[in-house]
Amino acid sequence: MKNKNSVIAYWTLLSVVALVGLAAIALRVFQGMSVTNLTSLIPWGLWVAFYIYFIGLSAGSFLISTMIYVFDIKRFEPIGRIALFSAFVALSAGLVFILLDLGHMERFWTVFINRSSTSVLEWEIHFYNLYLAILLSELWLLMRRDLIRRSAQPGLVGLVCRLLTFGSKDLSDESAANDMRMVKILGMLGVPVAIGVHGGTGAIFAVVKARPYWYTGLFPLIFIVSALASGGALLTFLYAYFGHKDEQHTSLVVALGKMVGGFLALDLVFMGSELLVGFYGGIPDHVAVYRAMMFGPFWYVFWVGQLLVGALIPLTLIFNKYTGKISGWVGAASALIVLGIVGVRLNIVIPPFTVPLMPGVDTAYPLARFAAFEFKDWYLAAFTVAIVVFLLAAGLLIRHLSQLPTRPVERWLARAAGLVVMLGFLMMGLRFLGVGTPVTASIMGVPAKLPLFFGGVLRANDPSFYSPSALEWLSSMGVIALAVMGFSLGWLLLPLQEEHPSEPSTTPPSPFHFKSSYKSGYKSGNGEMGTQANGESL
Amino acid sequence: MTKKRYGMAIDLRRCVGCEACTVACKQENHTPPGVAYAKVIKEEVGEFPHVRRHFLPVLCNHCENPPCVPVCPVGATWKREEDGIVVIDYDICIGCRYCMTACPYGARYFDFGDNYNQPQNEFEGRSSPEYGEDRPRQAGSSPIGNVRKCTFCLHRVARGEQPACVLTCMPRARIFGDLNDPESEIARLVAERRGFRLKEELGTEPNVFYLE
Repeated sequence: MKNKNSVIAYWTLLSVVALVGLAAIALRVFQGMSVTNLTSLIPWGLWVAFYIYFIGLSAGSFLISTMIYVFDIKRFEPIGRIALFSAFVALSAGLVFILLDLGHMERFWTVFINRSSTSVLEWEIHFYNLYLAILLSELWLLMRRDLIRRSAQPGLVGLVCRLLTFGSKDLSDESAANDMRMVKILGMLGVPVAIGVHGGTGAIFAVVKARPYWYTGLFPLIFIVSALASGGALLTFLYAYFGHKDEQHTSLVVALGKMVGGFLALDLVFMGSELLVGFYGGIPDHVAVYRAMMFGPFWYVFWVGQLLVGALIPLTLIFNKYTGKISGWVGAASALIVLGIVGVRLNIVIPPFTVPLMPGVDTAYPLARFAAFEFKDWYLAAFTVAIVVFLLAAGLLIRHLSQLPTRPVERWLARAAGLVVMLGFLMMGLRFLGVGTPVTASIMGVPAKLPLFFGGVLRANDPSFYSPSALEWLSSMGVIALAVMGFSLGWLLLPLQEEHPSEPSTTPPSPFHFKSSYKSGYKSGNGEMGTQANGESL
Repeated sequence: MTKKRYGMAIDLRRCVGCEACTVACKQENHTPPGVAYAKVIKEEVGEFPHVRRHFLPVLCNHCENPPCVPVCPVGATWKREEDGIVVIDYDICIGCRYCMTACPYGARYFDFGDNYNQPQNEFEGRSSPEYGEDRPRQAGSSPIGNVRKCTFCLHRVARGEQPACVLTCMPRARIFGDLNDPESEIARLVAERRGFRLKEELGTEPNVFYLE
């Protein structure tokens, strides 16, 4: 295999993060919500932010797939199945996050028997189910013929595809036409459902009249637009780097990038409108939330994460006449958007809680608390083992990653990045074990900023301060790693991209062709095709 | 006239900010750290030498239109028909904390399972008398992992007693009773003295009145 090193590094990293995450999730399950840094003043935190983030990714991807199958924008066809599959994986991840956040996880199924028609959350649960059904049937119909073709292959791919055909053997063209008709009907049903899924998730927040920051009619719409931006960006990123590199690749990436940029710009306009109205109105509770978001201890989530990384840099990259024509750059810009929307989601959930509902109600009784674990002996042993395994794996990872790039500068950069990631995880692990906090503080030199990443210990007396505990972070990373692993597996096993039966080779491209994608991107960007593509996309 | 509407009037001229209500409530309901159904907001107004301290005892307002009730996805919290007390069923609540975000008064608390003592002492382990149920406080079982709130000491009221905070209040600043009964002390006080309620602009119609 050509990129053996990167494949090993990829799966090592993911499985180690997933393992650590699963251990953290186990602690959460056995010891309850006390392992979080949440308080009664700040009842929702990182997990809820990730929940709406992944639901948004899902709904956004799905809505983009409906552009193809309902509104007949045929040129986006190559990303159709990827969109539906990533929608499925993201929805699953979102639901795992909200499950983690329940005080009584074992009762999650009671939402189906204890109905409450007045609750937006209850309606959302039904929307999610309907949406899941539509999503999966659509995906299956689209893949059916390719699944049948692939089931002839030997090994795991053939086995999985054989199982997934559910006994269907019809390869005729009429059956395909039939499939497409069904897909169109399902897609039409899916549009309002997907809008309900994420607009409704926005409505969960928007109906809360106690929090003026959420209580606006624009809020559910912002959710939908930013969902389209993040979902579209995810697809652009995936297709730019891992899609079939055929003649339409670059032009499609550029077109997708422009569309995502448009949604992102609309999202910014909406946000600006909210800010303008909020500040002009000057209602203290409302303005205080903006102040907390923009100038509070987490100012950088807004300015750096949400605005710089999540909007300005990607918009510049996409709408610039040099980088905007190169699939590699547009893909990178999209990856930045996918990251930046995390900041948007964090800033939706957390800042309103940091402002007291009534002056003095936050300090009337000591409500501050922070994560507490009960360290039984076997936990300690398990985590020591985990840290050793992690260090070994990280060593392996750095070795493999640093061999990947050809130029020495890139190799050193890769090594340095690996080291930074490893040190970060190590410090998180130490903090998690309650070891070495003063050491890390002195290394960082800025004690006030330390708890922002490592658990909120130094500000534990401030009741309106919340920073996710190490365990919240680790379990979140674990869920994300599992989702990425699931997606990669699906990518390797399922026919997520249209297969042309005439082509001799049906093996899917490995999702690790970093180099080749860059090359093709540069080539087409410099050549005539890039310019042509640019003209077409508008 | 059968239905009751329990409410409370708090005379702010009488309150001295001693927090006896906070303590009595914690003792009565065996609440863990970070949970205090009754508390007193203290505010300092003015600059030396013209300083005053204002006290505002707060608790669940048992609103006529409680915003926390309709948001619950499993219907685990509701306003009782017979007396208007907003209650939570610990066996149904899944702990999603949506109601906590919806309450404009911050009157709901989440039981994270923390204890004052490690391991918990006998008093902490004993079951809280809330709702007249027997629930020893053990890890993993309700009310740990549930949202908790003031019940107007439902279990005491059922026995014909006053809520713990009312009984303990030294200057008799708290008056508890049935607002639907025009003969009751609370109904008379609310009618006679100009009372105000918290955040009336939200239309929640609280049943806790503050007398100035």
